[in-house]
Amino acid sequence: MQASINGQSIEFKPGQTILQVAREHDIFIPTLCELNDIDHAPGTCRVCLVEVRADGEDAPRFLTACDTPLQAGWQVLTRTAQVQDMRRLQLEMTMADHHQSCSTCKRNGNCELLAAANSVGLTEVRFHYTQGWENDEPVDEGQAIIYDRSRCIRCQRCVAVCRNVQNIDSLELAGWGSAAGIRLKGGSVEPSPCVTCGQCVMVCPTGALSERDQTQEVLDYLADPAITTVFQMAPAIRVGFGEEFGLPPGFNVEGQIIAALRKLGADIILDTNFGADVVIMEEGTELLGRLRQKKGPTFTSCCPAWITFIEKHYPDMRPMLSSTRSPQQTLGVIAKTYLAERRGIDPARMRVISIMPCTAKKEEARRPEHIHDGQAEVDVVLTMREFAHLLRREGIDLKHMAPSAYDDPYMSEYSGAGAIFGTTGGVMEAALRTMYFVVNGKELEHVEIGQLRGFENVRTAHVNLGGEFGEIKVAMCHGLKGTRELVEEIRAGRVDFDFVEVMACPGGCVDGGGTLRSKKAYLPHALKRRATLYDIDRHTKARQSHNNHQVQRLYTEFLGEPHSDKAHHLLHTSYRDRSVVRPADMQAVWGEQAEEGIK
Amino acid sequence: MNYPIYGMWDGQRYDYRRKAPKEPVTVVSGLPTLFPDNPTRGFIADRGFLVFDGQANLTQMFLQHMTRSAQESCGRCTPCRVGTQRLRDLLHAYAYDEAPAAVLDEIALLAQQVTETSLCGMGQSCAKALWQALTAFRDEFRPLTVAQCAQTPGYFGYTTAPCIEVCPSKVDVPKYIDGVKGGKFDYALGVVLEKYSMAASCGRVCVRFCEDACRRNAVDGAVGIRMLKRYAADTALSGGKSLKIPLPEVQRKERVAVIGAGPAGITCAYKLLLEGFQVDIYDAQKSAGGMASVGIPSYRLPKDVLKAETEILIRHLGGRFFFDKALGRDFTLDDLTAQGYQAVFLGYGASQGTLLGVKNEDPTLEGYASGVDFLLKVHKYVEYGLPFEVTGDVVVVGGGNVAMDCVRSAKRMGARSVHLVYRRTVEDMPAEREEVVACGQEGIHFHCLSNPSSLVIKEGRVVGVELLTMRQTELDARGRRSVEPVPGTEQVMPCDLVIAAIGQQVDGAVLRPEDGVTLDKWHCITVNPDTLETSRPGVFAGGDCVLGPLTLVNALDHGDRAAASICEYLLTGGVTIKPEARVQQMLATNKLLLKEPVEIAPIPRDRAHVPELPAESRVRHFKEVDGCLSKEAAYEEAKRCLRCYRVYSLSTARPLAHAAAAQ
Repeated sequence: MQASINGQSIEFKPGQTILQVAREHDIFIPTLCELNDIDHAPGTCRVCLVEVRADGEDAPRFLTACDTPLQAGWQVLTRTAQVQDMRRLQLEMTMADHHQSCSTCKRNGNCELLAAANSVGLTEVRFHYTQGWENDEPVDEGQAIIYDRSRCIRCQRCVAVCRNVQNIDSLELAGWGSAAGIRLKGGSVEPSPCVTCGQCVMVCPTGALSERDQTQEVLDYLADPAITTVFQMAPAIRVGFGEEFGLPPGFNVEGQIIAALRKLGADIILDTNFGADVVIMEEGTELLGRLRQKKGPTFTSCCPAWITFIEKHYPDMRPMLSSTRSPQQTLGVIAKTYLAERRGIDPARMRVISIMPCTAKKEEARRPEHIHDGQAEVDVVLTMREFAHLLRREGIDLKHMAPSAYDDPYMSEYSGAGAIFGTTGGVMEAALRTMYFVVNGKELEHVEIGQLRGFENVRTAHVNLGGEFGEIKVAMCHGLKGTRELVEEIRAGRVDFDFVEVMACPGGCVDGGGTLRSKKAYLPHALKRRATLYDIDRHTKARQSHNNHQVQRLYTEFLGEPHSDKAHHLLHTSYRDRSVVRPADMQAVWGEQAEEGIK
Repeated sequence: MNYPIYGMWDGQRYDYRRKAPKEPVTVVSGLPTLFPDNPTRGFIADRGFLVFDGQANLTQMFLQHMTRSAQESCGRCTPCRVGTQRLRDLLHAYAYDEAPAAVLDEIALLAQQVTETSLCGMGQSCAKALWQALTAFRDEFRPLTVAQCAQTPGYFGYTTAPCIEVCPSKVDVPKYIDGVKGGKFDYALGVVLEKYSMAASCGRVCVRFCEDACRRNAVDGAVGIRMLKRYAADTALSGGKSLKIPLPEVQRKERVAVIGAGPAGITCAYKLLLEGFQVDIYDAQKSAGGMASVGIPSYRLPKDVLKAETEILIRHLGGRFFFDKALGRDFTLDDLTAQGYQAVFLGYGASQGTLLGVKNEDPTLEGYASGVDFLLKVHKYVEYGLPFEVTGDVVVVGGGNVAMDCVRSAKRMGARSVHLVYRRTVEDMPAEREEVVACGQEGIHFHCLSNPSSLVIKEGRVVGVELLTMRQTELDARGRRSVEPVPGTEQVMPCDLVIAAIGQQVDGAVLRPEDGVTLDKWHCITVNPDTLETSRPGVFAGGDCVLGPLTLVNALDHGDRAAASICEYLLTGGVTIKPEARVQQMLATNKLLLKEPVEIAPIPRDRAHVPELPAESRVRHFKEVDGCLSKEAAYEEAKRCLRCYRVYSLSTARPLAHAAAAQ
């Protein structure tokens, strides 16, 4: 079919929207609510206006490009004076009931709304409607993710990602008029289906959704001479952080981060990769035990959003979860016991601060299972975004830091196996490397197990473990939509696996809900970050967790052997049934309906 | 005033400010005198505006209209959410002399933007008249005079949509679709429960006037409104979740008797119980549901679904049932008065079969049954396991939904062959299309253009039916075809059971003359159509016993409205007509919401399909045929709604009595 855009004659397929056709021809139309990467065009912001003239019509029409299918013969104009005025007015109205205190916004510096205002040439905002949110009380129940209605532009990207990408469906639309926004089903985190994976934060165009900011707590600890600060960084941090400071995606900034932490005044710098190696020792042993008892399948337990998923959505599956603590908690608990003992530090004065690509890790650190006599194993969890904020608050530009190296002799070494924990299939590969050694008494010949390294959301493989076990069946999932499908299949008995690795975030931890945000894009850098992780593995001397010298020392000097009583006490955890069934409460429903309209 | 002084309607300009028209000019009939003793000064709608009173201030009229529109804006899209508020505020500033005349340019621009760029029908329609008025009658926009400032203007606003207005119960369809779209299934259910309790039942068997009226019909098929209603109702209660309906805060002492536990009676009882009245329900059957239970087979409406939102819910709300008690047989209206009931609702339905009117017809014959009697036996077989056998060949006469229920039930009861005889063509059948299609799938033999002329009797039982072939006549003056028998085409179809399913009527023996309730010649109760009062004070009536056999949703509406009337009657001693009823009447008379085209085609999205059991297996049992939508399908279907809300604003000389009372 034929139409024209800005005088240029173009071919298009029936059903294509004006925006799709324009993009195919590299013609720019400003957008705001739309997010192509998740196929989301809700048509709520109404910014992408174009002027359309058609034969037989006297007056031009002004239509939104994102949700109008192009028709044959239309002449589309994207830059007429009137259409530009109308876009400006649209943005002016968007700003009118938006909280315009940009200086206090989490998105200060990389906001998509401000970019849209820029792209339409907004010059003034003449009116304001703040009654929809001015009386909102800040909600802080210690939850990991905070929603600020005053900064919401009602694009519903969060709702779409939660429904369609993760299939968790924990968000609902609420409120009316200028009070319209979103809220958790059930009202707050615990009774909702939310697993705190943070994908909603990753797609939010403004500062409406963000993690609970804990940078101040960290600064306070750093400034307190009585406190020993212990930092750990997750496997994915080093490959996903450089972009914030202008380095190319996937660039390994481990050395720069260590240097930056020193500059901040960190007392001890550890690596979560070490925790990952310990996890492999425990989880691998646990899995072999379960294989011997023919108790299959076993699910990994590193991912806290996945744990919450099981506890809330499939609580009957809890016995299949590995009881091993996650690398973050493992590192925290060992730091406050073994390290404190070795270095003569009072654990009560020690604060473990993790830098994570994850929002759910904030919740994990607060789990009652991970707090003993009021003392947390991990005290503060910072997302990568908060960590970037922390560095900026201290005037540190990572790009100009000379790389440094770890100096802790107890808990900073890591193997290549620990390093690849940050990508889908990595935990599985790491576990198999060690399990093969345990079973066969010799190392796996080809440590890079190619059949685990695909990128589909659900992958399965048969791996020869040798010895008494022979071939075992494994599966790897990233993203909860595919995970749910696999769990359903397993529950129904239609499929059977020995070992299943799950990462709740699509793309795995390298693209977790706590990583840097992208504008107008969803997960654009997963593969580059992943390639760097594999590269790190390749260049690490020890490729297997059991060959990590510091891990060996930990067991010899402190834990004994994997699954010893002490190891069990410190490194394993338990899970609860957190499913909620709420009655349909018509009192509340009718109350809400009365507020939402006078019909 | 028999003409508008000025205004715009459907693009046409009316201007009699200087010269009155020679003939009366009626653009929208009934408008100037819609409210008794309170003349309409002006009217604003999506299609234009009309001013009937020279004293009316146009700025003020639009200020009222935009104030209402801003309240109605759901807030999802920017131009409607903020634009309506801004228009309201600019009009307010201009009306109270706080802004220069130049502000009218800004208002016009903004009104255009809201109209042209809003996401849904609400924003697209609410500022259109303002835009037109500023183009055509800008000189009429004046600040308020001192005298006008001192007056309290009268106003009545009414928001509706084509799907709402065509629904007898006036269920706010876009609102419950919003609920589904927004992931709030309880909320969606709540919208329906504001009108009646039988949401899951209606979500299964409603005749769906709403889908006929849906503007999406012209694009890619009506929104699956009924399947979304069912989705909301089924989901809100799935997985062991219960329904928490709030018990009334006030307990009133007044007692109401409801006669008939069918859809009308249940709805009336439900609404009265929510108001705190004491309600007793009497029914001739052993369970609640009326025709929805007896007449609709369980493969369309499972008994437990129906029971949950009738019997169980009413008991939860404190209502009492007296089953196996029939008015006219076991008690009279006077008995009820003597027992201390201050009001009575009659909803006993139309449950008597209509005779075919053919030779040898006798309802007592073996091998003969009326549709309702047959379905009652099937019901008792399914519900209580009472013995009932259907073997051999069955002939059902009729083309409506009851006939479809009979053939499909006969098939499920194990009939050897089932035949449907209908005097017109398949296209003419009043039954729902889905029902006709399902019959085809289930192996029912259709004999159209065929009509019984006589029953063949042998040894006191029916052994066959004599059929005459019919033919269509030429188109008559109204463009319709009739049918006439073709002489000499008599043919006997042997059978073991003939079911006459050509309609039901109201049982004339329920009420006697001394009851003081006026009936018409079809034994239907005569009521005031606005208030549902009968000729006997304190006695109200609704549903099939008033309307003749009609639809479930008509009965639900009557139950709802009767409850409102009874409530008003018990609390004030009288019943008044509500302003919204007057507006609804006016909208219907003038067909103001009739099939407006969708000008710019939206992104095409196919209508969802409800999963159903395969025909081969489903004919062996009475399990529900249609399934519920999946969540994904429901979300997608809800997105198809265009939200064709329209705000109608009436400016009146004085505040309406009800509005004054509400303040």
